[in-house]
Amino acid sequence: MADQLTTNVNGHDRAITSAPETPLLYVLRNELRLSGPRYGCGLAQCGACAVLVDGAEVRSCITPIAATAGKKVTTLEGLPLLWAQSKGATADGGTLHPVQQAWIDEQVPQCGYCQSGMMIAAAELLATNPSPSVAQIKDAYTNKPPSPHLCRCGTYAAIIRAVQRASMTMKS
Amino acid sequence: MNVTLPSSIPTSSRALLPRLTRRGFLQSGGALIVSLATPRLGAQAPQASSSRSISIASWLELRDDGAIIVRTGRTEIGTGMSGFYPQIIAEELCVRPDTIRLIMGDTDRTPDGGYSAGFLSGADNLRKVGAYTYQALLRLASKKLRAPVDSLTVEDGIVSSNEQKISYTDLVRNQRLDLTIPVSGGTASVDPKSWNGLSGLDGLVVLGNPPTRPMSKYKIVGTSNPMPGIPDKVTGRTQWTCDVTLPNMLHARMVRPATLGSTLLSVGTLDKTIFPNAQVIVKKNLVAVVSPNEWEAVSASQTLAANTRWTNWAGLPTSDKLTEALRSHKWATPPEGKGSTEETVAALSASARQVSATYEQPFIKHAPIGPFVAVADVHADGSVTVWSHSANSQGLRAQIANTLSISVEKVVVRWLDHAGQFGRTTFGGDGAEGDAVILSQITGKPVRVQWTLQDDLAWSASSPGWVEDIACGLDANNHITALKSSFYSPQSNDARIVGAILAGMPTLQPKPGYWVATEWAYDRIAHRREEVYGMPNLGDDSPNGVGMRGIIMRTPGQRQQNFALESLLNEAAAATGTDPIAFRIRHTSDQRLIDLIHATAKAAEWQPRPSPNPNPRGTEGNQLHGRGMCLMVRQNACWAGIAEIIVTPSTGVIQVTRFTIGADPGKIINPRQLERCMLSGVVMGISEALKEETTFDTGKITSTLWTSYKILTMAEMPEIKTVQISRDDKGYGGGSEAANAVCPPAIAAAFHDATGIHSRRIPLTPAYVTRLLQIRRTAS
Repeated sequence: MADQLTTNVNGHDRAITSAPETPLLYVLRNELRLSGPRYGCGLAQCGACAVLVDGAEVRSCITPIAATAGKKVTTLEGLPLLWAQSKGATADGGTLHPVQQAWIDEQVPQCGYCQSGMMIAAAELLATNPSPSVAQIKDAYTNKPPSPHLCRCGTYAAIIRAVQRASMTMKS
Repeated sequence: MNVTLPSSIPTSSRALLPRLTRRGFLQSGGALIVSLATPRLGAQAPQASSSRSISIASWLELRDDGAIIVRTGRTEIGTGMSGFYPQIIAEELCVRPDTIRLIMGDTDRTPDGGYSAGFLSGADNLRKVGAYTYQALLRLASKKLRAPVDSLTVEDGIVSSNEQKISYTDLVRNQRLDLTIPVSGGTASVDPKSWNGLSGLDGLVVLGNPPTRPMSKYKIVGTSNPMPGIPDKVTGRTQWTCDVTLPNMLHARMVRPATLGSTLLSVGTLDKTIFPNAQVIVKKNLVAVVSPNEWEAVSASQTLAANTRWTNWAGLPTSDKLTEALRSHKWATPPEGKGSTEETVAALSASARQVSATYEQPFIKHAPIGPFVAVADVHADGSVTVWSHSANSQGLRAQIANTLSISVEKVVVRWLDHAGQFGRTTFGGDGAEGDAVILSQITGKPVRVQWTLQDDLAWSASSPGWVEDIACGLDANNHITALKSSFYSPQSNDARIVGAILAGMPTLQPKPGYWVATEWAYDRIAHRREEVYGMPNLGDDSPNGVGMRGIIMRTPGQRQQNFALESLLNEAAAATGTDPIAFRIRHTSDQRLIDLIHATAKAAEWQPRPSPNPNPRGTEGNQLHGRGMCLMVRQNACWAGIAEIIVTPSTGVIQVTRFTIGADPGKIINPRQLERCMLSGVVMGISEALKEETTFDTGKITSTLWTSYKILTMAEMPEIKTVQISRDDKGYGGGSEAANAVCPPAIAAAFHDATGIHSRRIPLTPAYVTRLLQIRRTAS
């Protein structure tokens, strides 16, 4: 198939067999067996499905796989590699992304369902603003289109602490 | 073994005294297996030749490789149970909590059943299991070391007597030891006589009083053990319910009726050229599309929904007229009441003045961030395996067996993590499992049913709206002498599986009713009468049998009734020109509560004065500042909340700027996890106080998106301060939930403090706040 889609997912070029209009979320979960991004609303209203495409957060539930052709997709599972690459390494050496480590250290997840999207949003924020204030963190998680990142368990305070912790680690 | 059995144990059960038996010596391996002596289950001896086999009757296994396996039907619901349970067991066994592996919630691998509503409901059992096991291990060590039991000490699983030492693992090496402990009760079963249609909610209960470690000597309970599942959740290794994939599995999307009462007129069709692998399934009013390809199922279900026709139904009063509808209902006698009506009414009449009010709240939703999902595999022999995130696996098993008219032994429920659902499945129902088993039975294949957000918000049960009339009488010294309350609400115990209702298959039969949920903090109020009235679901006579189903939600009953009680206390304090904290302290002699109030007030830098705020305008001038407080006593725990808010009259927006929450839940098991629960509970409570309302028209729920069912966002979260008091002499109290219920009365009080207006309804949305301010302007 000459026109087969190829997308780079977590550092690997993947030939995609799903139909081009299939949302990225279903391709990641069902074809590539990546369970980090999860279905929350299917309408880009909650953030549970968030992934990075070329470093920018997108909601995979409304993004057709065709729109990611030739681009770099990073899911929760790819955060260690993203961190390694930012330090100049080509493969992750098993070290977690500072955001993931901070999420463990701050005991962020309760049910944890939304937290993959929350960590993706943190990784994007810290890549663009290495020292966000509390107000900037709140703004990023609330006012950035297409919607706020929602957590029903109410872990927002822990998320803010974890983003600040990750920020310190990444600067050191 | 020195065990005292409660007198309630019948003589015939005396044979169920803890018993340690050696089943045989083994070439290798070895374990101590703690099993259950119950007449119903029997304590089957595991095969001596297979030391690693799993017995359903085994609650705890101490293996000679150092592993300790604990099996419980209770599950992690996001509040830290999976961290607390190992702490409890480890404390009694004198081992490290990280040596304990929990198996939770699988009906074929856990013995006890029971619902997962909080730590208290499962802790007592595990504490006793640990204590019985510890006593048995001491006896073994005593023989081995030839030393009396009371000369032994244990640390990290090593028993010592003078210079001699032996580890637990050496004690069980090459042996098969069975410790049988006494239990009563049974696992969940469908029971038409029960108030919610299900008996055995508590599962098995361990009997007797084995010697437990004094709380003052605790080394592990009271430390901040991390939640064991977090690293996997953070790295993507957790297998969630939505991740279950089976060979030949079909993906399903449901096509729900047009309203909560509609029946099917005609099912639509699908163009095979567009949806080659999709299949339409219909059973009475249950309609679904299945496909091996999930996205095809999604797309096809949207097409099918557009050309499927349903009857119209208009049996709901609309959310705007909810209070009128509740008011016009012909309420029967209250199913439950506390206190004397006569004495309370007489004391009210004799009082110098009365303060009375009516409070109300609309329907709200559990609103999990992940809509419900389930996978079911109905096998050729009629047995069923279901993968679920229910908080009551045994209850779900009973319901599925009932729906399919098969025995519970033919149903296995495997539990996996999923989005928090805050009490919605406490009774084992209200998930996607019913849809999944019915579709699997029809197709003969495993089926994964993923509800959409709209399915979940429109078709799950809700926490019902309510109205409460409450009044108090004060004497000449501004002391409350009597308090009377009447609470009115539709039932909140309907855990029928929605798929089974729509398919016309057997379901539970819950009974309408309600219960007095408040626990009384004010022992210096001489007379009180609390009564509650329950009614059937709104639209309970709908043609398809669904209607507006009501089910409990986090901190059930008390969330509602404590809002009314504490709001009235705030009104009475204001009416008498008294500081709300001073006013409360006058009405209680509970030193534990008083200590907590003082500690919380100190953290909030509370300055005593009556409400409303004499100087509400801050530096900005166009905003109003207020503060308010409330208390709650629940499950052997004391709570205090202090809200500080800013009201912007031009927009009607309330911003909570700081919330201080104090908790005394007896012995704190895990300060860090408690803090997490307090912080996050405050977020949920503020969300409820300011934003949440399920709207509905005459036939259906209309708030079916996150843009119409709004919950708190991070930017709306205040600074939160927490205060914890741990006590060694009060046992365990409930800490994992309840924080949510502490917010609405404190915020309503702060609104009065800022504006002088008593808000008698939540949520305090901008539209409602604007209306309240307009009413006052018109009046003045």
